[in-house]
Amino acid sequence: MNMQTQNPTRIIFASFFKSGFKAKRTRVFILLSLIPVVLMLAARVMETAGSLAADASADFFAKVMLVLYFQLLIPVLALFFGSTIVNEELDNKTLVYLTTVPVSRRAVLLGKYLAAFLQATLLVGAGFLLCFLAAALTRLGEAAAWEELAVFLGTALLAMFCYSALFTAAGAFMKKSVLIGLFFVFGWESVVQYFPGITQKFTIIHWIKSLLPVLPGEGGFLIFQLQPSPAMESVLILLGAGCVFLFLAVFIFERKEYILSDNA
Amino acid sequence: MTAVLKAEKLSKWYGNILGISDINLEIGSGITGLLGPNGAGKSTFLKIAAGQLKPKIGSLTVFGAAVFGNHRLFRRIGFCPEHDSAYMEMSGWQFILLLARLHGFDRNEAGAMSEKALATVGLLESKDREIKGYSFGMRQRLRLASSILHEPEMLMLDEPLRGVDPLWRIKIMKLIKDYGKQGRTVIISSHILPEIEAMTSEIVLIHQGKIFAKGDIHRIRGLIDSHPHQVSIRCLQPRQLAQKLIDSDFVLSVDFDKDGHSLTVKTNQRDLFFTVLIGLIAESGLEIEEITSPDDNLQAVFDYLIGK
Repeated sequence: MNMQTQNPTRIIFASFFKSGFKAKRTRVFILLSLIPVVLMLAARVMETAGSLAADASADFFAKVMLVLYFQLLIPVLALFFGSTIVNEELDNKTLVYLTTVPVSRRAVLLGKYLAAFLQATLLVGAGFLLCFLAAALTRLGEAAAWEELAVFLGTALLAMFCYSALFTAAGAFMKKSVLIGLFFVFGWESVVQYFPGITQKFTIIHWIKSLLPVLPGEGGFLIFQLQPSPAMESVLILLGAGCVFLFLAVFIFERKEYILSDNA
Repeated sequence: MTAVLKAEKLSKWYGNILGISDINLEIGSGITGLLGPNGAGKSTFLKIAAGQLKPKIGSLTVFGAAVFGNHRLFRRIGFCPEHDSAYMEMSGWQFILLLARLHGFDRNEAGAMSEKALATVGLLESKDREIKGYSFGMRQRLRLASSILHEPEMLMLDEPLRGVDPLWRIKIMKLIKDYGKQGRTVIISSHILPEIEAMTSEIVLIHQGKIFAKGDIHRIRGLIDSHPHQVSIRCLQPRQLAQKLIDSDFVLSVDFDKDGHSLTVKTNQRDLFFTVLIGLIAESGLEIEEITSPDDNLQAVFDYLIGK
């Protein structure tokens, strides 16, 4: 017998990435991620029709990105994809199949994490691209427009990595992690990011916003108190925090005993 | 006997609820039946043995090693859980193939092993259907396939015959017996005595989290056979049937039910009673609608054995 010819993390990733797209949850999120695209298209049509000022769609694009994507869609997608990595296995009582094969729990978690991360990132990335095309239709030849897209996409990737790792750890630790996650996203992150001084650095959104091409006061939408941190520091913090959360998720998952009920 | 599984002072509880308590047990090769009523602690014991739960007190080793967190052991262990669970969006083939790949087989070997396992449980023809389209019995057989696909040295089956149709019940019992004959270790849990009896004579009785008795089933059977059994028979001619039964020494009493179509017989020799009853039915042509035994279950037997 030819044993261990392929990395188990890759096998789990490939299998769950494929089957994940069949899940009802993913279909709902595909629709959800199209909302900004529809709004962007509407803005574009209104601008063309003269109902909006010229170049208003570019400004609208930045707002759509910030408010709908970075403050809503990315955290929510990361929350549902991340927290269900372990919780769905518990709810469906399927964890037993992945923990009675000769594969480490670390490989199981990382495989499932990568599948969920890539699914969520693809949903966001596709929406981003469509929004960008709608907003920058007249300036697709400009390098600045593509640079702007690259910054948004890069930041989205980091944001998704960090948030999903956090919610994976939360899901590995507790069963009701979605509720806690919602409180974190819409409570802690929404409020504390506007606190002056160092306090806002205790949110993930602070580091994300520090990377976005929106200056304090500019754009004007609820960002007037942002005191951005340097870009490189923000990248390192987001990468570091994501790695720490992921390590924590693995640490918990390897040691925790999951009770699938009916323990007769 | 070389112990494949060894439990020492093993205890497990969930909050205030006792799972198992102070279990000392050694299980070697061959088939061992784990018998007990629902809630007795059978599944808790098997889940600890399959590395799903950690012991609270004491230890449990399989092949000389603790199981929780020891994933390498699962090259040698197969576990069929009791839960009706599977990845419903996958097809039966995708599910088994995934597990085969995770057992370390390359793509070709995994395909061959999966095909063999699915054929063994009669699911090869429906392998491409999504699992959510399977019947309960098919999903039960799929779980069994998942536990045997890597041909483990030790197989642990938690209520593997639940929901399986009679034909497949017989085939699965044969499969399990063949495993035992090959010198592998099989631990099978059930709350139905005749099921276990058909596969092995080596049983462990669990009750309220403790090992109540261990050893040859015939010794236990002797106790059970002297346990007065009630048998309810629903038929069109209950009085005629009662007349034919009442003279038998093994019939302790006959009561007619209020509906006028049923009678309840109390016997102290259950097996003999059923043999005679079948003969009577065949001879007399009495039309029997239903035969039930209200206390033909392990809980009743345990209640009797512990003198409740």
